[in-house]
Amino acid sequence: MAFNILVVDDSAVMRTMIVRTLKMSGVPIASIHEAAHGEEGLRVVQEEWIDLLLLDVNMPVMNGEEMLTRIRADERTRDLAVIIVSTEGSETRLANLQAMGAAIVHKPFPPETLRETILRVTGVTDVEYYGSVAASSDQLDF
Amino acid sequence: MSSTTAQLLRRATSSTFEDLAFLVLDDECTEEQAQAPLDAAVAVEFHGPVRGRLVLSVSSSLLPLIAANMLGEEQARHVPLQRDALGEVANVVCGNLLPLVAGAEAVFRLSAPEWLTEATVSRPGDEPDATLTCGAEQGRVDVRLFVFGGERSHALTDSSALAAGAVS
Repeated sequence: MAFNILVVDDSAVMRTMIVRTLKMSGVPIASIHEAAHGEEGLRVVQEEWIDLLLLDVNMPVMNGEEMLTRIRADERTRDLAVIIVSTEGSETRLANLQAMGAAIVHKPFPPETLRETILRVTGVTDVEYYGSVAASSDQLDF
Repeated sequence: MSSTTAQLLRRATSSTFEDLAFLVLDDECTEEQAQAPLDAAVAVEFHGPVRGRLVLSVSSSLLPLIAANMLGEEQARHVPLQRDALGEVANVVCGNLLPLVAGAEAVFRLSAPEWLTEATVSRPGDEPDATLTCGAEQGRVDVRLFVFGGERSHALTDSSALAAGAVS
């Protein structure tokens, strides 16, 4: 099975970093969609089949907490696998997000941490690992 | 300035540069690093139990390296992306520092990183609550934390609150 993945973050740099890590993770990918805030992300979720959502918390227009609440309230998307990728440090807020079934990856994250969380959340075990994404060589660009 | 706040600023900055930009900061600047100009700066404002801003200045010679480590060599050639990469570093430093300073229960809203010019990097009358200067490669990194508002003294001078935040 190849995954359709949505990355929601208001930082284009962070989206690029996450997509880069995804492509090197060995997780089979069918498509990667991007959105800059929760409202835009919800539109993608409604229009496309998404298997995995990587979601920031602090964003303009609609934050990640609200987007996740709406996703869990919709019968069609309530079981979507979600990983929160954020600098959020409020334990209250993080506990609320975890209670809604989201895994948490704290920024800054070593790429291996994001990869391991993706594999755990997706349940993928049979992957070919392409090496550390910390390298900045052109050979590793996509 | 609280020495604890300065220590927390150092911790948040070092871990962010290492994990996000794969850049190890030197606690002491060499002569070459000390002379490198701080000619690229970005600010992140925050609002919550306390409000303020974090200003991250670096030698512009570091920008391509930071961007390359975060995005890859190809993307790093684009100057706007180099600036965005520095903005993301500032955002993550700020996001990691605030719970350490204000406690793990505090909820903050961070503004989008704002690129600063020479004219806007300093505001008349502003005094930083904590500062940090480090060396990095052939350049320099400088971080300043400014806290404004009535709750500033509670959040930044209560050493027990700081300690509690630091271990949470």
